[in-house]
Amino acid sequence: MSNVNNRFKKDLDKFITEFDDDLIICRCEEVTKGEIRRAVHDGMYTLTEIRRYLRSGMGLCQGQTCQILVKGIVAKELGISPMDLEPVISRSPTRPIEMKVLGNEGKEAL
Amino acid sequence: MRISNHPILGKPEEKREVEFTYDGQIMKGLEGEPIAVALKVAGVKIHRYTKKYHKARGIFCAIGRCTDCVMVVDGKPNVRTCITPLKEGMKIQTQYGVAAKES
Amino acid sequence: MTRYDLIIVGAGPAGLSAAIEAAKQGLKVIVFDENAKPGGQLFKQIHKFFGSKEHKAKIRGFKIGEELLKEANDFGVEVVLNAIVIGLYLDKEVTVNINDEIRHYKGDAVIVATGASENMVTFDGWTLPGVIGAGAAQTMMNLHSVRPGNKVLMLGSGNVGLVVSFQLLQAGCEVVALVDAAPKVGGYGVHAAKVARCGVSFYLSHTIIKAEGEECVKGVTIGEVDSRWRLVPGTEKHFEVDTICLAVGLSPMSQLLKMAGCEMKNTPAGYVPKCDETGETNIPGLFAAGDVSGIEEASSAMIEGRIAGLAAAENLGFLDKEELSEKIYELKKALLSLREGMFAPGNRGKAIEKTEEGIDLSINLLKKGYVGETEIERFPGVTRKKGVHPVIECTQNIPCNPCQDVCPKKCIKIGDKITSLPTLDETKECSGCGMCVAACSGQAIFLMNEEFEPGFAAITLPYEFLPLPSKGDKGMALDRSGKEICEAEIIDVKTKQVFDHTHLLTMKVPVNMAGKSRFFVVRRQENE
Repeated sequence: MSNVNNRFKKDLDKFITEFDDDLIICRCEEVTKGEIRRAVHDGMYTLTEIRRYLRSGMGLCQGQTCQILVKGIVAKELGISPMDLEPVISRSPTRPIEMKVLGNEGKEAL
Repeated sequence: MRISNHPILGKPEEKREVEFTYDGQIMKGLEGEPIAVALKVAGVKIHRYTKKYHKARGIFCAIGRCTDCVMVVDGKPNVRTCITPLKEGMKIQTQYGVAAKES
Repeated sequence: MTRYDLIIVGAGPAGLSAAIEAAKQGLKVIVFDENAKPGGQLFKQIHKFFGSKEHKAKIRGFKIGEELLKEANDFGVEVVLNAIVIGLYLDKEVTVNINDEIRHYKGDAVIVATGASENMVTFDGWTLPGVIGAGAAQTMMNLHSVRPGNKVLMLGSGNVGLVVSFQLLQAGCEVVALVDAAPKVGGYGVHAAKVARCGVSFYLSHTIIKAEGEECVKGVTIGEVDSRWRLVPGTEKHFEVDTICLAVGLSPMSQLLKMAGCEMKNTPAGYVPKCDETGETNIPGLFAAGDVSGIEEASSAMIEGRIAGLAAAENLGFLDKEELSEKIYELKKALLSLREGMFAPGNRGKAIEKTEEGIDLSINLLKKGYVGETEIERFPGVTRKKGVHPVIECTQNIPCNPCQDVCPKKCIKIGDKITSLPTLDETKECSGCGMCVAACSGQAIFLMNEEFEPGFAAITLPYEFLPLPSKGDKGMALDRSGKEICEAEIIDVKTKQVFDHTHLLTMKVPVNMAGKSRFFVVRRQENE
């Protein structure tokens, strides 16, 4: 698991706004760079925490586009390499699916 | 916008022309091509407006991954138009947030 | 629950190749793919592939796709399309959404060949309609016969950015600029050179500052960055465009493997499963093949697929260990040869200054996309002699050797090491057949005859655009940077089945321009 959890807390600099904080990162849930940076300062050091906290990567596309971007922002904020951050947990369904389909077991053989 | 003859691929496969509506407007496209392609040829670039900030979005990945091109198709929202084949008589509407605009 | 010997996720180059090899060994194989058409990204690849004969070199990607499909069909592989795998579990159970029903399958072996997804970059306005991925551009123009835009700016000088830029030109779009934040062109120099000679300007060490427009892209501003990626004030440049195309790399789509519980590793090239040399993960009978286990070319993905298919057969007892190692021996060798040269996975991020032969690389090629006039002379494929002869502007060590194979006169030598730069055998006489010009996947070979007529030279070049000029057409010769340099007349146009849509144009230019003239445009109307 991630080795990030508490190691960096004391080293984090004070949150300072940046010129591009209003840049949309998660296109589906419209989460901005500033919100993600702020979340790190609020104590969210793992991608899974960020995801639960802000819903980035929880929209229709399930983080297809933003996951790597979020990873980069969080890593930079923590002052570590993106490679030291665990990716988020992978779960089924990996593609958008309607609830009624998810519950619709195919009975007849194809 | 359509490529009538390509130096490597030659002439595109012939497809039947069908009518559909886009926000009530009658338009034509080729049967079976992605809805997004028919709209692109018709000059439509905006597929939806986002929920929070009401920003315009259109085709981004064109292979069904990014879900930015979703629209309301035959009353059903969140349909990925870049991978949904066009059919005769389809009713396609701009998506505002998660629904079509109330008329 | 339906059982199969082998379930493969993804019908791209790796998945299909795996299916074919496993089916050949008698396995009952099923392949699921979420798309409406099989072949993965192969059907969007309209350029000729690099490599050697065994890598299907000089065949265009979509043709390779057709061949793979036919082979899969011949061996009774079942390919289910519009079949979206939504889950993969430890015990090799696969859940698939087919026609809005969830179906459960169990494989004694499973090969995950889900490929990669595109990386993106952010900048002001990046969510505007008109900002698209390079894959989207390829999909629109090469699958659906629609131009993605009229005026396009490309971000990314890796092979995808370069190849897609060329495809945009072929589709009739204008590419206003090719931009990359890196200080050097990332992809093959030959891909860059064929884009540059069409007049596309390269902006290295530049980044997009802003995509302009209220509701869709109307323009773009780029600016120079310094060595620490900071914008240099006052370097802004503006272009009117309707499309901005992003080609900034790919990442393995490895979620299913992680979900299944495979041991994974974080690498600079993405999050990938730990695999042995056959692609088997730490879960016995669960394999990964192709881009999902690390981004490479489709040629490598096909070989990895074949190896994984055979290894799955061995895993289930259809082959014994000895038969397996015998069968994959040649495949492994072919894979290794693709992983050699300057662009080898092991060389990523390294600053290479000389070729394997010890020749200084062209700086201009890396900075501007084309080899400078004085630089080109130092490469072994560029020689001067009487009569017609090839000029091979191949300046980087890339695993590729069709030019050597096709020359009926054996003028061109690469040798056994397929990354070596081609050299010319001075003792052999070139017949001017042009096979090498058409076969070169990088379009880097020209024929030159400096004694065509007194004062005039004949230059033969590869041409893949429409409309095709005809004999007698007058126009301008362009140099390697795409600048018009002199008048030129088309004196021959060769079109042959064996050239596979690469036409050979021969133009007459003043003899002092022979060393520079590398492209042709029909004369523009004076009053235009």
